[in-house]
Amino acid sequence: MADAPKLVNITVDGKPVAAPAGTLLIEACKTVGIEVPSFCYYPNLSLQGACRMCLVRVEKMPKLQTACTTGITEGMVVVTDSDEIRQARKSMVEMLLGNHPLDCPVCDAGGECELQDMTFSYGAAESKFIELKQHRDEQQWSPVVYFDRPRCILCYRCVRVCGEGMDVWALGVDNRGAVSTIVPNKQDHLECEECGMCIDICPVGALTSGAYRYKTRPWEMKHVGTTCTHCADGCKTTLGVRRSDTGMEIVRGDNRDKSGINGDFLCIKGRYAFDFANNEDRLTQPLIRKGGRLVPATWEEAFEFVGRRFKEVLDREGGRAIGVIGSTRTTNEENYLLQKFARVALGTNNIDHHRTADFPAFAAALHGKSGATASMRDVYNASAILLIGNDPTEEHPLLAWQIRNNVRLHNARLYVVNSRPIKLRRQAASFTQVTSETDFTEFLGGDESLASFATREGWNAVRDKLRAEQGLVIIFGSEIFGEDIQALARFAASVPGAKLLCLGDYANSRGAADMGLYPDLLPGYFPVSGAGKFHQEWKITPAAPGMNIGQMFEATKTGQLKALYVIGANPVGRLNVNPSTLKNTFVVVQDMFLTETAALADVVLPAANAYEKAGTFTNTCGDIQILKKAGEVTTAKPDFEMIVRIADAIGFDVRKLVPFGHGVHADMGQSRGAQSGEADQHAVWLEANGLEPKMSPFDPVATLDEIQRLVPGYDVSRTELLAGNDQHTSIAAMGPGTVQNPELIVPAKNNLFSSGTLGRYSRTLNSVIENKDPEPADAVPTD
Amino acid sequence: MPILKNIAAIAKGMSITFMEMFQPTTVENYPDGPGPLRGAKFQERYRGVHVLQRDENGLEKCVACFLCAANCPANCIYIEAAENTAENRISGAERYAKVYNIDYNRCIFCGYCVEACPTDAITHGHGFEIATFNATNLIYRKEQLLAARPAHLGANPVFNSAEVAGGAPAEVAPGE
Ligand code: SF4
Ligand code: SF4
Ligand code: SF4
Ligand code: SF4
Ligand code: SF4
Ligand code: FES
Repeated sequence: MADAPKLVNITVDGKPVAAPAGTLLIEACKTVGIEVPSFCYYPNLSLQGACRMCLVRVEKMPKLQTACTTGITEGMVVVTDSDEIRQARKSMVEMLLGNHPLDCPVCDAGGECELQDMTFSYGAAESKFIELKQHRDEQQWSPVVYFDRPRCILCYRCVRVCGEGMDVWALGVDNRGAVSTIVPNKQDHLECEECGMCIDICPVGALTSGAYRYKTRPWEMKHVGTTCTHCADGCKTTLGVRRSDTGMEIVRGDNRDKSGINGDFLCIKGRYAFDFANNEDRLTQPLIRKGGRLVPATWEEAFEFVGRRFKEVLDREGGRAIGVIGSTRTTNEENYLLQKFARVALGTNNIDHHRTADFPAFAAALHGKSGATASMRDVYNASAILLIGNDPTEEHPLLAWQIRNNVRLHNARLYVVNSRPIKLRRQAASFTQVTSETDFTEFLGGDESLASFATREGWNAVRDKLRAEQGLVIIFGSEIFGEDIQALARFAASVPGAKLLCLGDYANSRGAADMGLYPDLLPGYFPVSGAGKFHQEWKITPAAPGMNIGQMFEATKTGQLKALYVIGANPVGRLNVNPSTLKNTFVVVQDMFLTETAALADVVLPAANAYEKAGTFTNTCGDIQILKKAGEVTTAKPDFEMIVRIADAIGFDVRKLVPFGHGVHADMGQSRGAQSGEADQHAVWLEANGLEPKMSPFDPVATLDEIQRLVPGYDVSRTELLAGNDQHTSIAAMGPGTVQNPELIVPAKNNLFSSGTLGRYSRTLNSVIENKDPEPADAVPTD
Repeated sequence: MPILKNIAAIAKGMSITFMEMFQPTTVENYPDGPGPLRGAKFQERYRGVHVLQRDENGLEKCVACFLCAANCPANCIYIEAAENTAENRISGAERYAKVYNIDYNRCIFCGYCVEACPTDAITHGHGFEIATFNATNLIYRKEQLLAARPAHLGANPVFNSAEVAGGAPAEVAPGE
């Protein structure tokens, strides 16, 4: 690190301010709590100086100066508020309102509009203009982006965020001066990533979103900050919810307080693809197969039936005849509970999930090497990044944003090694194209005697440059697995301070792996044979590894597996299982929709999604974050509750699964989002009446306690977690992992507009896909 | 002479009483008076059951801006917004109120909603006979609050709020 930058002393409104040289005046003012109004200035975007709202008086300068473009200099004396300045700002607002329609009552920005705020503060309510206002009809640029030209105040934030931040450059400016107008890249429509960043950043209601248009107003919603349920990057998204006849309906997703690891960013999925929750195809009642058809049943009936059938199999053949398949989108608590249910209540290790990355091998490679994993924040701050495989622009939009902006703002060096010319090569200092999987291995192995090294020009040069980097972050996708991860870890060990990051595909893929949804691994990558403290805690743990997902479906064919319990997964759709093989297996599925797997099941239980429950998610970097309950659908239950109910129906003592009742304390609902106030009041009432708050068996917090106690690396601060902050868990502190079965890793291959089963039921994502040009012009302009 | 003074004061007071006794009565003869209001008389400013107004084209004035709901101290206004389309044009602006309920269990007739409304859509009418035996009848729907369409545009069947509250069938043709 360079020396701390020199501090410059200035005076703002009589207050002394010291800030590093090169700081902009507007930012320096913020450090002492003086907010200089601005429209066009936006932190971390290039300077525009277009709106002149930020005018301040700097001593010894003849005219008012724009604080957003003026750097501070020693001894500067600044006044940010005086009659002269207020008058100047008032005139600016008056100008902006000259042709502004002021249709706030029907404008989606109303209540959250910076122009409204400024008009209130500077009171330019009366206009000197008598000319007729020029009207232009609103234009729809894409399924999610609408543009209302007269409302635009030409701050160019949208143009800059789309170009500089997103590297999409889909928006531009036509004409000059007062007749300038913002235009999309395809004359009358947009061909872009549909991230909605431009809508978010627009200070007024000129750019509005198709998903939220005219639905409600900001003050009518409750705003719940939770974690995105799509890709594995773990953005914080704020869901606006409103009461509806089925509970709480999610009406909007956005990045309201920008306090998450994603900073300003959200991609289309985190912002608009919450709508799967409102899809009319959602299951609304339990279904039981009777006479070959799935017919509606009551919850009691369904649980009792599942319990009875599981019990029959258990009594006849024991746990090894039951298989359990977990989800990559259920919470850590649910995953932990599920594997505990399988191991303790069913007595089987037949448990697996859809693997999208080789986390056990990653754990094996980094066992005991603390500080060797990178968090999402590290990606933004690292001085150099090596990206091997994967296409983050499509599969990990936040990661791509972090990389791009690290390169743009901190001059980080990006090295890309890939078999495809991925878009991030535009930011790369070096791009190495490999042609095959073996190339990856050889590049990593670095055995310079290999023939490929002689033939591949530049390989050695890249490796030498990488070795010279300080603070390198190495990011790799599912192309690298098994032994290759070991090789990569060895390479990383040869670069001082290097950190690794392994990319899985779904929102809680990492959590599913960490929580032990493996036939041979317990939570924290401990082998099932050496159960140790888990055994002490749980009393029973089968020691022999169980069947993996592939073996389970083989075993259904031979009749070895009599029952299958699937939670939030669609293995039939993904593994192309022949429906007839499941004929003799009793299949129970918990899902939101009638997926290919659910359609074959004997019992289908409608499940709540991640936006409708409390818990925690671990993103692909290992950053753990809280989920708060935002939406609610009274016709579905969280998977947590259903697992407990089924355990109870089997006749298992659920107290051994989840501690509850007398003597067990928990947070009593701080994590329950929109409903939290009620739970807290309840706790206060109990306390006041000398009663002890007791936990329900369906509260996941006691399970989080157990995870934090038993899984090393998860012992993060509970306060930080409840406050909604991300914290990095350490895989190095966990168990030894294993290296095996790379063939079970099936990448999700989601792109920007798809998201597994959830994507299929999202109207916004589908409408965007339908609207794409059948033959898009090369998305990556040739550089 | 204090006694004489007191007698004079009483006599003066009683003279007014006796004078008024022979004036015609000004008490309202509600509910036995003539006309649709059955003898009730109102000041113009009287704040009764709300009326959602229409514009000169018969379109609803309400644009579902939610400002009345935001301003309502009793929190009794419930709105669901929807977008106007060419085929289904309800209000003059981009948006209209698909659902507009006022809960008269809670409304305190303060008039704040009327003050908040940017389009003069919500107004206080003079309706006051809203007592009912069933509290759910006190939640008035948009159809009950809406002003009748002007006759030259083809008056629509309207809801007579008082009668619906009293259990009459929901749609009552105008004039009935
Ligand atoms: S952009 Fe702001 S000021 Fe303009 S109409 Fe919308 S809410 Fe009103
Ligand atoms: S949605 Fe995103 S990619 Fe599209 S124009 Fe807006 S900022 Fe650019
Ligand atoms: S559309 Fe919005 S963000 Fe873009 S220039 Fe206009 S006001 Fe600024
Ligand atoms: S980048 Fe991933 S986590 Fe972030 S909003 Fe998009 S899908 Fe969600
Ligand atoms: S009645 Fe007036 S204030 Fe209320 S939503 Fe309609 S337009 Fe807005
Ligand atoms: S904020 Fe300084 S000119 Fe716009």
